[in-house]
Amino acid sequence: MNHSHPELAEQFVKDAERTTWHDETLWFVRQKRDRSIYAIPEFQELRELASQIKNHTLSRLHTYLTQFEEAARANGVQVHWAANAEEHNAIVLNILRKHGAERIVKSKSMLTEECHLNPYLLQHGIQVVDTDLGERIIQFRNEPPSHVVLPAIHLKKEDVGETFHLHLGTLKGEKDPQTLTEAARLHLRTKFVSGQVAISGVNFAVAETGSVVVCTNEGNADLGVTLAKVHIACMGIEKLIPRLTDLGVFTRLLARSATGQPVTTYTSHYTKPGPGKEMHIVIVDNGRTKQLGRPDFRASLKCIRCGACMNTCPVYRRSGGHSYDFTIPGPIGAILSPNIDMHKHKSLPFASTLCGSCTDVCPVKIDIHTQLYKWRQVIGENNELPASKKWSMKLLSRVLSSPGVYGWGGKVARESLRLLPHGFTHAKALNPWAKAREMPAPPKQSFREWYEQQNSNGKA
Amino acid sequence: MSTSRESILAAVRANQPEEVPLPTVPIYSGEASLERFTEVLRSIGGEVVQVAGPEHLESALLQLFPATYQCASTLVKATVAVDTQTPTDILEAVDLAVLQGEIGVAENGAIWLPEQNMLNRALPFITQHLVLVLDQRNLVATMHEAYAQLPSAGGYGVFVAGPSKTADIEQSLVIGAHGARSLVVLVY
Repeated sequence: MNHSHPELAEQFVKDAERTTWHDETLWFVRQKRDRSIYAIPEFQELRELASQIKNHTLSRLHTYLTQFEEAARANGVQVHWAANAEEHNAIVLNILRKHGAERIVKSKSMLTEECHLNPYLLQHGIQVVDTDLGERIIQFRNEPPSHVVLPAIHLKKEDVGETFHLHLGTLKGEKDPQTLTEAARLHLRTKFVSGQVAISGVNFAVAETGSVVVCTNEGNADLGVTLAKVHIACMGIEKLIPRLTDLGVFTRLLARSATGQPVTTYTSHYTKPGPGKEMHIVIVDNGRTKQLGRPDFRASLKCIRCGACMNTCPVYRRSGGHSYDFTIPGPIGAILSPNIDMHKHKSLPFASTLCGSCTDVCPVKIDIHTQLYKWRQVIGENNELPASKKWSMKLLSRVLSSPGVYGWGGKVARESLRLLPHGFTHAKALNPWAKAREMPAPPKQSFREWYEQQNSNGKA
Repeated sequence: MSTSRESILAAVRANQPEEVPLPTVPIYSGEASLERFTEVLRSIGGEVVQVAGPEHLESALLQLFPATYQCASTLVKATVAVDTQTPTDILEAVDLAVLQGEIGVAENGAIWLPEQNMLNRALPFITQHLVLVLDQRNLVATMHEAYAQLPSAGGYGVFVAGPSKTADIEQSLVIGAHGARSLVVLVY
């Protein structure tokens, strides 16, 4: 199954009311972000510092990875390295088997989503419970997350009510968020106390101390990790920052950019295993070193997964996260995904207006829209453009490079739009642009004709 | 050592760009007042109550939590003893934890709680209600100032900013997701 972004987005926008609601909901989050950042006078300086810290870290990543590993081992943490998703999953399974664990609790981690850890563990007879409320909702529904921070943002409270009625036995028709959250709290507490192993993601890994930092609002990672006998933290190699004090910059940027909060409710720093407990860190590559070697796209590794680019993107807001068919949706996902599989994700760099809003809100100053533009060219050079786009672009380039043909073409278009039947000019197969739009009324004359007329009038 | 470790590090070394300098991060300051801290913490669902001094904690708590609670604390009289080895079923029954916070951050209402102040790592999260006690001389303006005061992150430590919350159902804010349902900061 290989659906392009336009095909999948078409499914989403069929429900016009829901599309509008989705758009407005995310724009509301974007506005909260704006209010929150304007409360900090040095916000733009912090973005620049964050960008420079990340640039520096990537330029010395080899050193920082080694330093981090050494510090973590000295803290009594077991460090593992995984070249790809398969190896990551095998390492996790191996730890679980060593402890005879059958039930685990997991807090939100886009990396484990990327590695498809849940289905893998399920296949091997291990019960995995996602403990973030949004993640639990979509886990019940057997869906992937549609946003990196707000995984169930595509669902309405009625959908959640229906899901909880089916899986948690809440009353049919119950849709009050407070009541539904309370039901999830009681249900998940039973999972937390019986979870033998807890898996968490990592927001930041501090090279100098060997600590991993996890940020949540619900406290689900914290509760799961502190109760379980074994903590497995899974991180991509790009999560590193050099110093503990760099967290001053990143903790100020992350939550403000993500949800407009001054900071996440819990910012947990795990350095040593708890008394009598075990802590593991799995460091994962899975294509990241390849991206590091692409000068045009390496800045995408600076991403701290705040989701600000999604909340602001006019295409994401109106097409929904699932239309990207990739673990990380939205503008940042559209520059990360072709690195993993250019053929499969060739339509994603085109799922953008290139308006640059994603770049404007990015807290680590990734040049997202420039990279989207560059991917389009790489995709063209690799012959991955759909035929319709390729030939129409070739034709357009011929027309635009010849003033005579351009003038003649304009004349023909103005006349034919007037004369041809609407059903022909708006035929979906011939003119996909007109699927949801009317064509503009053709002007009587072109600008050039008007200009010449003005000139001759002036002379007369 | 696994072969993946070697291959990943080799690929990183081969692909990382030419070194660029690490910037010096200024310790940005700002307003470190109790008013600011109180206002921000209230805006994220927490509460600040002023007490005359550490000797007044018991009476302040009695007013805030008049019912008989299963209380765990290092600061006031506890009804349940908690240490690092306390089994989960006992932790689960804790209604109230009263713990010493180390640093309060005015710009975001966060309070630094190191491992040695929390009796058991799970306590600040599993308790139904959390009370953190803070000496107002330990208020700082920003996260930069807070981290500048931390010699290390210790074995474990957490910044707590308000009660556990979620907005995962249609962006409606609900207080009390999985962790403590309320956070009161007693400031003296």
